[in-house]
Amino acid sequence: MEWLLWFTRFENTKPLSLAIFFIVFCGILFYVFGSKKRGERLESHKNIPLQDDEI
Amino acid sequence: MKHDKIERNLGILLVFTMLAISAGGMVEIIPLFFIKETIEKVEGVRPYTPLEQRGRDIYTREGCYLCHSQMIRPFRDEALRYGHYSLAAESKYDHPFQWGSKRTGPDLARVGGKYSNDWHTQHLIAPRSLVPQSVMPNYPWLAKTNLDYSDIELRLKALRTTGVPYSNSQAEYERNVKDFGEDVAKTLHIPDAEKNLVAQAKLGNYDTDPSNITELDALVAYLQVLGTMVDFKKYDDDYFVKFR
Amino acid sequence: MATASVTTAGVGTSEQYNYDIVRKFAIMTLVWGAIGMFVGVYIASELAFPFLNFDSAYITFGRLRPVHTSGVIFGFGGSALFATSYYVVQRTCQARLFGGERLANFTFWGWQAAVALSALGYMFGYTQAREYAEMVWPVDLLILVVWVSYLAIYVGTLMKRKQPHIYVANWFYLAFILATALLHIFNNLQVPVKLFSLESYSLFSGTQDAMTQWWYGHNAVGFFLTAAFLGMMYYFVPKQAGRPVYSYRLSILHFWAIIFLYMWAGAHHLHWTALPDWTGTLAATFSIMLLLPSWGGMINGIMTLSGAWDKLRTDPVIRFLIVALSFYGMSTFEGPMMSLKDVNALSHYTDWTVGHVHSGALGWVAMITFGSMYHMVPRIWNTQMYSLRLINVHFWLATIGVLLYIVAMWISGIMQGLMWRAFDDFGNLQYSFVESVAVAHPFYVMRALGGAFFLTGMIIMCYNMYRTIRQGSTEAHAGLNVATA
Repeated sequence: MEWLLWFTRFENTKPLSLAIFFIVFCGILFYVFGSKKRGERLESHKNIPLQDDEI
Repeated sequence: MKHDKIERNLGILLVFTMLAISAGGMVEIIPLFFIKETIEKVEGVRPYTPLEQRGRDIYTREGCYLCHSQMIRPFRDEALRYGHYSLAAESKYDHPFQWGSKRTGPDLARVGGKYSNDWHTQHLIAPRSLVPQSVMPNYPWLAKTNLDYSDIELRLKALRTTGVPYSNSQAEYERNVKDFGEDVAKTLHIPDAEKNLVAQAKLGNYDTDPSNITELDALVAYLQVLGTMVDFKKYDDDYFVKFR
Repeated sequence: MATASVTTAGVGTSEQYNYDIVRKFAIMTLVWGAIGMFVGVYIASELAFPFLNFDSAYITFGRLRPVHTSGVIFGFGGSALFATSYYVVQRTCQARLFGGERLANFTFWGWQAAVALSALGYMFGYTQAREYAEMVWPVDLLILVVWVSYLAIYVGTLMKRKQPHIYVANWFYLAFILATALLHIFNNLQVPVKLFSLESYSLFSGTQDAMTQWWYGHNAVGFFLTAAFLGMMYYFVPKQAGRPVYSYRLSILHFWAIIFLYMWAGAHHLHWTALPDWTGTLAATFSIMLLLPSWGGMINGIMTLSGAWDKLRTDPVIRFLIVALSFYGMSTFEGPMMSLKDVNALSHYTDWTVGHVHSGALGWVAMITFGSMYHMVPRIWNTQMYSLRLINVHFWLATIGVLLYIVAMWISGIMQGLMWRAFDDFGNLQYSFVESVAVAHPFYVMRALGGAFFLTGMIIMCYNMYRTIRQGSTEAHAGLNVATA
């Protein structure tokens, strides 16, 4: 478990976490807003709560 | 990985959610168990005696931690008001910790020895008789209720299971003699717990009524030991900085 | 209560969904709300007028305070979450609850027993002395069993869904169930004194114990009182507004951000303590980042109303929901600010923290619950709200109550912080501690008054709901009589 100590040093964790968060964030951002077609499909889900009364 | 999958596939949603919520806790909590510098090396910190531990039980039972902290911060005003800032080592035998989060009343981390037993007794029974503006409740029943110490051995054994060095065998006792000195080691010996508790209560006479051992005896014994274990004269202030 | 819900079953909507369990939890939401808030007003009054402790062990501040927190968080908030999550998951999945009546009813009785037993236990002095996790270990085990059943019901229902997509409200509820399980297990590792003893000692000590406890404490706020109520928001705001949520993509983005970031922020409760500095710094950084997804949720909720702002004037239920989101935005701004080490040095240990908690708990959690209940209760009893005017009265009482409360706590909190650190010309402390207690008195009175306003609103809601439910039951009976005649 000694390797965990590596995470306690800021000179290591700061750039590492910055890189990870930035890449993941960009990934999600690209996924969500990158394509118009996908965007339309995702937005279509927002009607789910309003459909339930008809069934 | 398509996000579409996550939205449709419940299993993947569950796994990703678990990953996302586990990361923070793992990185912040687990190292605390492995980093040796988390807890300072200081002399004097010892487990509570049986009577003090019973006092601590009453402290937690009455919810004292909801109005009193036990954690002095490293500021000039707190140093003047309460004393040296609290060390991690000073609460290493505290199960549970009682650092608190609110000071409706003052911090108690170093209240030990600041007031007499008489003062504490009077103050706990009727706080406003000594401090008129206080908003603390009266605790008169503590002086009227005899302390139940029938299960003191079981309590110390439970604490021993969590890692507090109470001794239950000759070998453990000798280890304690080496670590804490003979006087302290005697008070940590589980088979003698009841005898030690009664002896300390009789000798200390904490609630100023020697006829019986009450909950007040135990609570005052606990309050009087708070923050007194480390002798700060022995250490240079810079010594503690490297542990922060 | 039981008879009313039994007789309405099988009437009206022909019970495509299990609404019986939703009705039970909805009623207990009201009951615990009234009890928990009453105890809150009482202990607030004890701080203003200490004679109210009446020298009785059972009702001293130290023993009643966990009764208040458990009553409102787990009794009121918990029951509201069970009720709304069972309602939302069935309606957005178009599937009946998994596990049948029995498992659902077990979560109901188990949860109510856990809250009631823990509250009674505190009054008799049985506590683990961990803030917001004071329940003794047998109750912890009961909660664990209930929670696993809840997870099974929830996941099972999601698996039965007729919709290919899982609506985002369910993501939030699911994250809340998982996170609460994780937090509950690790923060309640205890060694009992003996097998048949309610007392126990925590497995961890000192620094580790503190970190575990505030990892729990902060995320109980993050998941129990935030993520789950965001789930509520994502269903009930669009429903009541009659229009879909502003941006579904934003909801995806801020869901992942919020559940990831929240878990890091707990250590900001331990700034300047014996916890190593790196933990606090890390927590403060994440707390600042947390502002973005929090506001993402707020904007998404409020903008749902864009183009229909006139509803704010005409519909008191919408007003509850939107004001809840505004308070959410305010307290999620205040929180990161208080997590900055320099601000925290002033605010920590003072009433400011108490005010901050209540701007979130009353302003956000309770208000969004009120709005959702006013939407849901008439629908599950197949009727209309008894009185819209009383909803309006409730809204104003609640709003004034919260404002009185947080303003009082801001003033007394900042005053305490400044007095504790004030020096005179000679470098000595300017004030004794008790002077800072004495000056807080008028603000403690003001706080109790604010609480009383809020409680009055809650009681009016209970009355309004009682009339609504009775009206719903009579209508159902009438329908039944016509059918059988």
